[in-house]
Amino acid sequence: MATFRLQSTRVLAVDLAGDAVKAKKGAMVAYDGEMTFKKMTGGGEGLRGLVTRRITGEAMEVMEVKGHGTCWFADRATEINLVRLTGDKLHVEAGNLLVTEPSLRTGTTFTGLRGASQGNGLFTTTVEGTGQAAIMSDGPAIVLRVTPGTPLVVDPGAYVAHTGRLTQQLRSSVGLRTLIGEGSGESFQVHFEGEGLVYVQPSERNTIGGQM
Amino acid sequence: MTHGEGPVVHDPSTLPSDDNVNPYAFCVDLDGQWFLQKGKMIAYYGQIDFHAIGHGPLDHLVAANFHSPLHAAAWVVAQGRGKMLLADRAYDINSYDLEDGNLTIRSGNLLAFQPGLALKQSIIPGFLTLIGTGKFVAASNGAVHFVEPPIRVDPQALVGWADCPSPCHHYDHAYMRGVLGGIRALTGIGGTSGEEHQFEFTGAGQVLLQSTEQLMPAADTGGVPGSAGPGVPGRP
Repeated sequence: MATFRLQSTRVLAVDLAGDAVKAKKGAMVAYDGEMTFKKMTGGGEGLRGLVTRRITGEAMEVMEVKGHGTCWFADRATEINLVRLTGDKLHVEAGNLLVTEPSLRTGTTFTGLRGASQGNGLFTTTVEGTGQAAIMSDGPAIVLRVTPGTPLVVDPGAYVAHTGRLTQQLRSSVGLRTLIGEGSGESFQVHFEGEGLVYVQPSERNTIGGQM
Repeated sequence: MTHGEGPVVHDPSTLPSDDNVNPYAFCVDLDGQWFLQKGKMIAYYGQIDFHAIGHGPLDHLVAANFHSPLHAAAWVVAQGRGKMLLADRAYDINSYDLEDGNLTIRSGNLLAFQPGLALKQSIIPGFLTLIGTGKFVAASNGAVHFVEPPIRVDPQALVGWADCPSPCHHYDHAYMRGVLGGIRALTGIGGTSGEEHQFEFTGAGQVLLQSTEQLMPAADTGGVPGSAGPGVPGRP
């Protein structure tokens, strides 16, 4: 079994014993032992996955890393967060997904307008199954719990990932004043309701919404 | 879902009250109003509205506490009840308490402040002055260091200063003296160290510095094909 451990908050070490992991292309920084790196076409879910990813724009550049030894992964010195899934589903932007265990299935879902306001497109990547995944964030991610009594509002630019049974809704408070140039700067917000966890980063990507 | 090895999970009751969640995020326990710079709110629980500064329901508050028309478009008032998380570019975030004091800070580094403080424009371009009593939250690229005048600091490392008089410019011109210096001044041959201009502080007070300057553009070494330019074979 592949074991994931954080060498530091920004470097992930994966111990492999003949098995394989899926990793973001180009994220390997060092390895020890015998490793092979193979480009996977369109995320590795066959022709259908390839076509879906091409159409939706969630084209993950994925490689398969297989071998014996230890492989270290890092990407632009961003913080790495480990997420252990036990049969539930993780929603994450393709660009924030670093490494997944082979037991996890990746797919693409429609997110609606939240994606559009992030400038990331209308689709997001899902990771499903049992195993570990490593996700990246600009600054250490803060994990916020959402319960039916405590809904959460997140800035689209700070959103990284979420798990659990959550419904998300993009709300905007764009009024006349925003249109004439005096916006509140927090015009687009994502409301999460239900039961689950939301990962936010202490930084904001440039978003269309955030610039208003 | 298990979290034996995962990060801490926060909910509204475990989030700190007016304190840092981690070095890069600050949690405001909002009950009333706070001024904050646009786009620095990353998430919140509760009922919070964001109002643009200008003509609106908060006119009297803005009139009493916000005196910088230049920055009005970059600020909003958060009003309501709840826990609100603030962060900025994954910079270090610190909160400070002012008691009947005054503090001047680089405008881009100030994230938020309580209405007990009044915001004014400093006469130094690009800086804002806070006067009064209350808490404010500021970001710095790297940890903040407090030093006491007399001191000369690099303009890019300056975050702000408290209680002491406003700084003046200081130029080192020693390198321009003599025959060689004259040639250098006339032709530019030999270059400058880039450190001949400083801000000089005198008097009693505190100067806040961050541990970063604007970085020099780096020449790419060890690049991968595609990004490293000519000379590196292969395709990206």
